[in-house]
Amino acid sequence: MNALYLAFAHLRWNWARSLVLILVGALILAVPMISEILLRGSEDALTRRAESTPQVIGARGSQLDLVMDALYFSEDRATPITMAASESVWDSGLGLPIPLYTAFDTHGARIVGTTLDYFEFRQLAVLQGRLFAVLGEAVIGSALAERLGVGVGDTLVSSPQNLFDLDGVYPLEMSIAGVLAPSGTADDHVLFTDVKTSWVIAGIGHGHEDVISAEEAEQGNVAANAALLQFNRITDANIDSFHFHGSAESYPVSAVIVAPYDTRSATILRGRYLDADNPLQLVLPDDIIADLVDRIFRIATLLDAVTLIIGVAAAAAMGLSLFLSWRLRAEEMATAWRLGAGRGSVFALAGAEILIILCAAICVATLIVLSVRTSSEALLNWLLAL
Amino acid sequence: MMRRSLIASVLLMGFSLLQAAGTALAQERPRIATVNYPLAYFAERLGGGQIEVLFDVPEDRDPAFWRPGLSAITAIQTAELIALNGAGFANWTTKVSLPRSRLVDTSAGFSDDYIATQSLTHSHGADGEHSHTGTAAYTWLDFKQAAAQADALATAIKRRLPGVENIDANLQALNADLASLDQLAADAAVALQENTLIATHPRYQYFARAYGLNIDALDWDAGEAPTDAQWADLARRVEERGAKLLLWETAPSAEAKARAAELGLTSIVFPPLANRPTQGDFLSGMKVVLQDLSDAGK
Repeated sequence: MNALYLAFAHLRWNWARSLVLILVGALILAVPMISEILLRGSEDALTRRAESTPQVIGARGSQLDLVMDALYFSEDRATPITMAASESVWDSGLGLPIPLYTAFDTHGARIVGTTLDYFEFRQLAVLQGRLFAVLGEAVIGSALAERLGVGVGDTLVSSPQNLFDLDGVYPLEMSIAGVLAPSGTADDHVLFTDVKTSWVIAGIGHGHEDVISAEEAEQGNVAANAALLQFNRITDANIDSFHFHGSAESYPVSAVIVAPYDTRSATILRGRYLDADNPLQLVLPDDIIADLVDRIFRIATLLDAVTLIIGVAAAAAMGLSLFLSWRLRAEEMATAWRLGAGRGSVFALAGAEILIILCAAICVATLIVLSVRTSSEALLNWLLAL
Repeated sequence: MMRRSLIASVLLMGFSLLQAAGTALAQERPRIATVNYPLAYFAERLGGGQIEVLFDVPEDRDPAFWRPGLSAITAIQTAELIALNGAGFANWTTKVSLPRSRLVDTSAGFSDDYIATQSLTHSHGADGEHSHTGTAAYTWLDFKQAAAQADALATAIKRRLPGVENIDANLQALNADLASLDQLAADAAVALQENTLIATHPRYQYFARAYGLNIDALDWDAGEAPTDAQWADLARRVEERGAKLLLWETAPSAEAKARAAELGLTSIVFPPLANRPTQGDFLSGMKVVLQDLSDAGK
């Protein structure tokens, strides 16, 4: 008890040194556990979402980029394809196609243009309000709503893609019709809107003042100049003026999630996209993510070895620091010896000091690990979206 | 006195229970939303009492141009099946969010046979020239096409609502009725073969094509008195084409009917029944019209 008291008093007196030792000790203990938590968490998050997404159709190219964009709305956008890819799945009667158009952003978050089927497919519930009903409405993910401090009835404007593209994408003000319940997935961090609304952002659909009167219409060809006022907000008063140009099958989408009706349909669909000359590819997210996870864990093994070496080095540095501090206290120990303290008392004092530092390091490491575990979901979603 | 109030209470309770049971039953039935009355009629015939048909277009509105409010859209979004007419009918469906998995475009099977209508070409900014091509939308007035739409609806019901029974038998009965309308229309067309018909509104493109009739369409506003200029235009057309029959979408006023008669035109009311009729149903309504046309041709 006396040894503990004396050791604690000494550590308090040399508080800066003690703090560094405790922090280093805590990090040596926490880092392997944090990396384990994040690795296992990312494996779970990746595989869970991949397992619940049977097939994805996109442009031929990097399969990983396609899956990461379609499932986690990652920064790397997939090469767009056309809505014809979705229509051909629908016409085949083999599965339900869910188009995703992820070309635009708002306040640093992705705008995901899709259909109402997406919410049913992902089993996303609405916490406040309702799902989007008309052009110009959006549903916001819970984490994004919290970050931006917005809710039902507020509006968000799409970010312009290119400041110099004056004739291209117009920022569109979207009203928030609902806030989704937290799902612990990438869906919490994005803004969902109808794919048709995202086409309005792309400039494919637009609304404007009447170009001509009814009398003028009979005269046929009419030209309106660039001064024609285009609406950047869709309201009840102007929604009727909104229209789309060209065939719907030519409109862009980033990817199409496909939910085949049965195993036979899934097999037939896979067969249709095997031809290397087909500009479209059908990927199985489960396979792609399993491969990715496998690679991550191979890298993780290497990381574990590195962590172990660094840990051993740091522990050795800690030991050296303690040893040197004891060498500095040699005179103090000699005085204690002369006063009648036995060899055991001196070892007890040293042991108590190590014990206190170790206990404090364990406590700090536990706090770090717990805080990482608590916010691991958000941390993982952020990491996966990179 | 006390006994009387006790009986009244028991009756009231029984009535409430019955009402609650009725509401529960109505809620339990799968719902099919439709964009026009013919599809609502087909859905009612196919599903019998097993389904609830959602078609709430106000009586005085044309379903082709009506736009539902938010509450109506929400109700439609939650229907188990949403039957679209296709051919550009009900343009509001392109501006609202509907779940694709529950949509059925009943005319998709004959989309290659759509009739294109006049288009307007224009351009804005640097987007270049483009046109908004119209499509004749009253597809069901060709009763063979109506049967194809009923088939498509029946297939969709069987796929989406497997619990609904007797679809095949009901479809057979419905198709028999549509075939009888087709025969009546063909018979009427034989009687009308020598005539040019003038319609006050462009609604009858598919009817004319299916039964080999020559129908010249005006673009008068339904329910509004024609202007003098419109009457003059009609007189010119009558003179040019020797038309004897004038088709009205809704019953004309006595004055308008008399003025048409002065031009030598017999007025026939031919409602396309895009909206629910106040009396009768699709079958009886069409039978009356076809009989009138047949009589007029004799």
